Amino acid sequence: MSDMAPHDIGYGEPEKIQSIDAEFLAGHRFPYQEDISLIEDIDLDAATPGADINWLEDIHLLIEEGTPAVFDRYSNAFLKIYFPIPADRENEIARKVLIKHLTSGNSYGIQLKEKHTKFPQPELGPWVPGSKTVGTDYHAPVLEGWEPPAH
Amino acid sequence: MAALTGEHGISYDARGLAEPDAAVPRVSEISGSSAVFDAKDLTTRQINLELRWLLYEQGITDVTVKNPGSKHSLGVGILTRCKITFEGSLGYFGCGIIDGPEIHITGRVGWSSCENMMSGVVVIEGNAGSLTGAAMRGGDLVVKGRVGARSGIDQKGGTIIVLGSAGSMNGFMLQRGRQIICGDVGHGLGDSMYDGTIYVGGKVRSLGIDCVPGEWTDADTELIERKFRIYELGAPPELQKFVCGKKLYNYDNLEPAERKLVL
Repeated sequence: MSDMAPHDIGYGEPEKIQSIDAEFLAGHRFPYQEDISLIEDIDLDAATPGADINWLEDIHLLIEEGTPAVFDRYSNAFLKIYFPIPADRENEIARKVLIKHLTSGNSYGIQLKEKHTKFPQPELGPWVPGSKTVGTDYHAPVLEGWEPPAH
Repeated sequence: MAALTGEHGISYDARGLAEPDAAVPRVSEISGSSAVFDAKDLTTRQINLELRWLLYEQGITDVTVKNPGSKHSLGVGILTRCKITFEGSLGYFGCGIIDGPEIHITGRVGWSSCENMMSGVVVIEGNAGSLTGAAMRGGDLVVKGRVGARSGIDQKGGTIIVLGSAGSMNGFMLQRGRQIICGDVGHGLGDSMYDGTIYVGGKVRSLGIDCVPGEWTDADTELIERKFRIYELGAPPELQKFVCGKKLYNYDNLEPAERKLVL
């Protein structure tokens, strides 16, 4: 952007980011992206409703910008995985990293709940029992200086 | 008409909003982590408020709702792990946008039940209307009766299991996920599907555009047997598998942002 003329900056297309990943949203990497030992003991059946892995059936290891990644639908962002993934465990590892991310409360979508959710709901959703309820006192933001029309 | 008893209590404000000031009725009988309440004389909003009060504020994890009376939009937006039993039937848009609950409905359901379901389990003992599991993203939806047209339209994940037959245009624009239909299906099965898998045990009246027979794998057998075992549905019937022919629509060449819409 710096070599653009002021006119171009004013009228040009804004800079577009093709992929917003979890690190970009958080401003840092999370330890479980780099250390497999932090996710190995997660019980996927216990972490999901029903008698099997339920919604995790649709979670698979993907590649984002050349790096293995799992998609976090709760913040619309990829969570990259930097440690070596053992063969034939690709989807299992992706699911465990995602569950660790969600249960840790690090998903950006979860962090927005405290301020923006309009209806009461558990902050950490269905992944952590007994998490605090947010959205009990929502007030719509008011634009300073704006008044409703007279009619 | 008895089922409409609670609806007489509905009030509207000048904007047309229904029950803008409804309060939690707090009528449940609570015993430990379980609760039971009778919905006969409650409005839709009161029933949903009672459910949320129990699940989010009282620490209840197992709720039974008696006499739901086929009211619409019951059990929507429940975002926690819990068990809910509706003793009776639900109207339109029941159990939509849920994330975590395991719900048992002893009767039937109307249109668009479980639309946008994110995770959890819903078992419906009777029939379900059209658009069942529309835009569903995850979890298991089991219908022990029949389903109407366009079930699983725009489905983006999860598993829909139907023990009976299904109407026309089932799996229309299916994008991910699975449907297991044990009975017959109507015209246009899987029309314009992008991805996903449809298994059919009965006759297929006609296939939709770009829906083609798929090759059976061990993973298919494992999935079918596991789901039937979990929900105690007996031995699965012999099933045909259908997938997207990838001649019409698929996400391979789309922008990353558009690809995310179905993940």
